Amino acid sequence: MFTQRQWSPYLAGALTGIVIIASVLIAGQYFGASTSFVRAAGMVEKLFSPERVAQMDYYVRVAPRMDWQWFFVLGILLGSFAAAKAGGTFKWQAVPDMWRARFGNTPVKRAVTAFAGGAVAMFGARMADG
Amino acid sequence: MKLIIMGLVTGVLFGFLLQKATVLRYDRQLGALRLKDMTIVKFMLSAVSVSMVGIYLLHDMGMVDLSIKTTILGANIIGAILFGLGWGLLGYCPGTSLGALGEGRYDALWGIIGMVFGAAVFTRAYPYLTETVYTWGNYGKVTLPSALGINHWPVIAVFLIAAVLLFGFFERMKL
Repeated sequence: MFTQRQWSPYLAGALTGIVIIASVLIAGQYFGASTSFVRAAGMVEKLFSPERVAQMDYYVRVAPRMDWQWFFVLGILLGSFAAAKAGGTFKWQAVPDMWRARFGNTPVKRAVTAFAGGAVAMFGARMADG
Repeated sequence: MKLIIMGLVTGVLFGFLLQKATVLRYDRQLGALRLKDMTIVKFMLSAVSVSMVGIYLLHDMGMVDLSIKTTILGANIIGAILFGLGWGLLGYCPGTSLGALGEGRYDALWGIIGMVFGAAVFTRAYPYLTETVYTWGNYGKVTLPSALGINHWPVIAVFLIAAVLLFGFFERMKL
């Protein structure tokens, strides 16, 4: 089963539901990811100006430290790597297939778009408290 | 320390399932936004349906607390529009960007760096936002059952029926 290339999205989704229930019951933690990006940004900024970070409202609310969610997000990377390796679907790729079909093999254009999209998406996610 | 290990283990399980469901891929995420491929919607609705029933059962037994976010129309709507715009450009959401990197799609790395940058920009905007968008339409911690003034189980039943009908529609349309 672990070596299968893919599972039904219904099965994987239902199993994810069970993981969510177990997490809330055992650790009291609901799934989330975007707060960890604020913590990561604060950790980077602290290297340059710790006094400034200590005074900023949002970094006081969301302190630059590693918590449950921070390790949860890191775990997603490791779990995905394990699943991809087990199923033989790991692939180094700079440009996704759908992007290539529409825009050609343009890794720089893809990198700039991904960076800008990431910045806008994170700003929105934090504003909506998602 | 124990909480950190639990976070890591939970993330590994979630990342494993996301990868096996193939929902980490840019093509799947853009496919959903272009209404051509509903794999992600199937995955998400399945997870929500199962966890909704389990968590409300445990809540009724007094074993877990709910985590209800505040509804502020201004911040929620404007934030959601920005999120959607950025998501469409990046093709990964905050959690799945790490998973995409884990399966070798390293274009996600630029997105991750962009998201850390976006978070830093947000901290600068936050003092201004608290005086504007965060004051527009604050309804507090509302839920569908509380807004309708009814028990949560009828709402859950309707949600589950709608999910099953939607799944049937997706399969018929081969989405």
